[in-house]
Amino acid sequence: MTPASRFKRVVLMTLGALLLGTVLPLSQAFAQGNKTVVNYWLWLDDSTDPVWPDLVKEFNQTHPNIEVKYQTIPLSQYHDRLLTAIGSGSAPDAARFKDWWLGEFVSNDLLQPLTSYIQQWPGSSDVIQNLWSTGKTSADSPVYMLPAQYITFYLYYRADRLKAAGLEPPKTFAEFVQEAKTLTDPAKKQYGFALRGGAGGQDQWYAFMLALGCHLVDGSGAVVADSQACVDANQKYIDLFRVDKVTPPTAPSDGFAQIIGGFESGITTFAAHHVGSSKSLTEKLGDKLGVTNVPPADPNKPATMMAMSGNVVFGSSKEKQAAFTFISWLDSQGPMDKMSRSANGQLPVLASVASEPYYQNNPFFKLSLEQANYAVAWPPLPGVGYVASQLWQASMQQALLGQITSQQMMTQIATALKQK
Amino acid sequence: MVRTSAPRSRSLNPRLRRRLVPALLLAPAALLLVLVIGYPLVRAILLTFQNFNMLQPSRTTWVGLQNFVQVFHNPVFWIAMRNTLVWVASAVSLQLVFGFIGALLLNQTFFGRDVVRGVLLIPWATPSVLVALMWMWMLDGNYGIVNELLVRVGILKTFFPFLSSPHTALPTLIMIDVWQGIPFFAVMLLAALQAIPLELEQAARVDGANPAQVLWHVKVPLLLPTILITTILRLIWTANYMDLMFVMTNGGPGYATTTMPFFAYTEAYRRIHFSTGATAAFVQALLLGLVIIVYIRILRRQQVV
Repeated sequence: MTPASRFKRVVLMTLGALLLGTVLPLSQAFAQGNKTVVNYWLWLDDSTDPVWPDLVKEFNQTHPNIEVKYQTIPLSQYHDRLLTAIGSGSAPDAARFKDWWLGEFVSNDLLQPLTSYIQQWPGSSDVIQNLWSTGKTSADSPVYMLPAQYITFYLYYRADRLKAAGLEPPKTFAEFVQEAKTLTDPAKKQYGFALRGGAGGQDQWYAFMLALGCHLVDGSGAVVADSQACVDANQKYIDLFRVDKVTPPTAPSDGFAQIIGGFESGITTFAAHHVGSSKSLTEKLGDKLGVTNVPPADPNKPATMMAMSGNVVFGSSKEKQAAFTFISWLDSQGPMDKMSRSANGQLPVLASVASEPYYQNNPFFKLSLEQANYAVAWPPLPGVGYVASQLWQASMQQALLGQITSQQMMTQIATALKQK
Repeated sequence: MVRTSAPRSRSLNPRLRRRLVPALLLAPAALLLVLVIGYPLVRAILLTFQNFNMLQPSRTTWVGLQNFVQVFHNPVFWIAMRNTLVWVASAVSLQLVFGFIGALLLNQTFFGRDVVRGVLLIPWATPSVLVALMWMWMLDGNYGIVNELLVRVGILKTFFPFLSSPHTALPTLIMIDVWQGIPFFAVMLLAALQAIPLELEQAARVDGANPAQVLWHVKVPLLLPTILITTILRLIWTANYMDLMFVMTNGGPGYATTTMPFFAYTEAYRRIHFSTGATAAFVQALLLGLVIIVYIRILRRQQVV
C-alpha cells in the first residue's frame, strides 16, 4: 500500500467514525420521539440489588411518554455530588433524598414544593398520615419530599445470651443498663451493648436521646438541644462507655460493620439498628435473634427516631410534572412492595402495603411499623446535615474520651442546629 | 548541493519563526494547564475573599479577610495544623529512613532479589482505600489479627483499640502511611545507588575506607539530590493525602486525626462553608509553596551541575 492510499484510507476511516458518532445519537433522539426525559439520582445500600433497574424499566415501559434515566451514586459521595451538580447547574430533575438535607436545601430554595402535585395525586390518601411531616420543614410548610422508604430504630438482642443469663428483654433504660452490666465480661471479650461512636452513630444516639426524654427542638421548632433534659440524657449515653463500661473499648470509633460484626460474633448482646439489617442478621443468627424497643426512661413513653428517605423534585427541573409522575409512581402499591422486600428494603410508607401479612408477620417490620406512630425524625433544620455527617461524631468521640462534657457537646450541637 | 527551500519558508522571518514555532507547539499544553490548573487556582483564591454558597452561587458577596479571621479563630484549624505537621514530619522521615535501608539491602546480591524487588512494590501499588480497609480490619480492637499477634507474643495483655484512642490513632495512621510509602523511597534510592560508578567505591576501599565510611563519604553525597527531591515530593503528597483519615477514622476520635486537607474538606462539603474550606486549603498551599520553592532551587542546582 502506498503512503497516499494509506493516508486516504485513514481519512476515510476517520470520517466514517465521525459520521457514525453523529448519526447514532441522532437516531437515538429520533427513536425517543417526543419522550420527556427525567434524570433521576439515587443511592442504594446494596448496589447489586436488581430491583431498582427493574422498576425503572417497568416505569419506562408503562409510561411511553416519559423516559427515566437513573444514576446510582454511593451514599458516601451522594451529598457532595448533589452540591456540586447544583453549583454547576447540572442537578437532576428528581432524586432520592434524606430528611437530614431538607432544611439545608429548602432554605436555599432548591426544592420544588410538591403540595399542589400531591393534591391532584389519587394515591396520596394511602400514605401513612404521620409520615407526611418528614417531608416538610414545619407543620405549615409545603411538602418538599415525597416519603418513600423509612426506618425506625429498635434494639436487637441475642435471645440465647439473655436466656442463658435468665434475663428478659429490657423494658426500661435502667433495666437495659443493669442487664448490659450482667452480660459484660471483658476477660471473655463479651460486652453488653454495641455503642456506635464512629461513622453513622448519630441515628442510634438520637434514638436513645428520644427514649431518654430529650427532644432537639420544642413544639414551636426552637432548638432546645442544650436543655438540661438533653444534657442528662446524653450523660447517660456517655456513661454506658465511661462509667458503666458495658461497651467494647473500640466503641468511640465503631461504625456499622464493627457493631453488626461484634453482635453477630457474640462480642455484644444488644445492638441498636433497623429493619435494613434484619434479613442478614436473621440468616446468620436465626432464633438467637430478638428485637425490642429502644429502652425508654419511662416505660409508658416509648420513643425512638425515624429516618425517612423520600424523593424530591428540584426547582431547576424543566420536567417537574414528569418527575413527579415518576416519584409518585414509586409510591404506588406494586413498586412500593417491591422496594420494601428488596435487599435495600425498608418500611413501606403506604398503609395498604404495610398491612400485608409479609410485613405484619415479620417481627422486625411489625415492631418498626408500630414505632412509626410515635417515632421522631431529625428536625428539618439547615444545620442537621452538618451535625449528622460530621459534628456529632467528633463531639461524641470527644465526650466519650472525656475531652469535653455532656453539656459542652450538647451546646456544640445546639449552636450548629441554630445556624441559619 | 542544490538548495530546495520552499518559497513559503522564505516569506517568514527566520528569527520570528524560531520563536513562534516552539510557542505554537507548547500552546496546547499551556492552554490545558491554564484551564485545568490555572483556573481552579485563581477560583480558589477568589473564594477565600468571598462568602460563597455552593447552593446559591448568585448570592456570593466579597467579604475581605473575614474567612481568614474565621479560620484562624477556629480551634479545630490549629489542631489540624498541628496534626498535619506531626503527620508529614513523622511519616516522611520514617519512610526516608526505612526506604534508604531497603534500598541498601536491595542493592546487595542475594537469592530471589528480583522477586523481593517486585513484592516490595505491592504496598505502593495498592489503592489507598483498599489499604485503609485492609488495615482497619487488621487493627480491629475486637478481632483484628495485629492485636491477636501482639497478645500472643506477649507485647499486649489484652486487645488494644488503636483507632479509638486519641493517643494512638494518628501514630497508627502514620505507621500505615510509612508501610505504604517505603517502596517509593526504596525504589528511587535504589535507582540512584545503581547509578553510582563502582570505581568510586573501589577507589575508596583501596584508600582504606570501611563500608560505613564508603556509605557516608561516597554514596550519601551522590544520593543527596535524589534524597532531597524524593523527600520534597513525598512531603507534598503526604500533606495532601487524607484517604486513610477519610476511610479509617473520619478525622477522629474527636479531632485526633483531622489534618489540613480533611479540615478543608469538612468545611466545604459537610459544613457547606466553601469559602472557609478554600481558605484553609489556601493556607496549606502557601506553606507547601515554600517547599516547592526549595524543590525548584534544587532542580536548578542539579541542572547547573
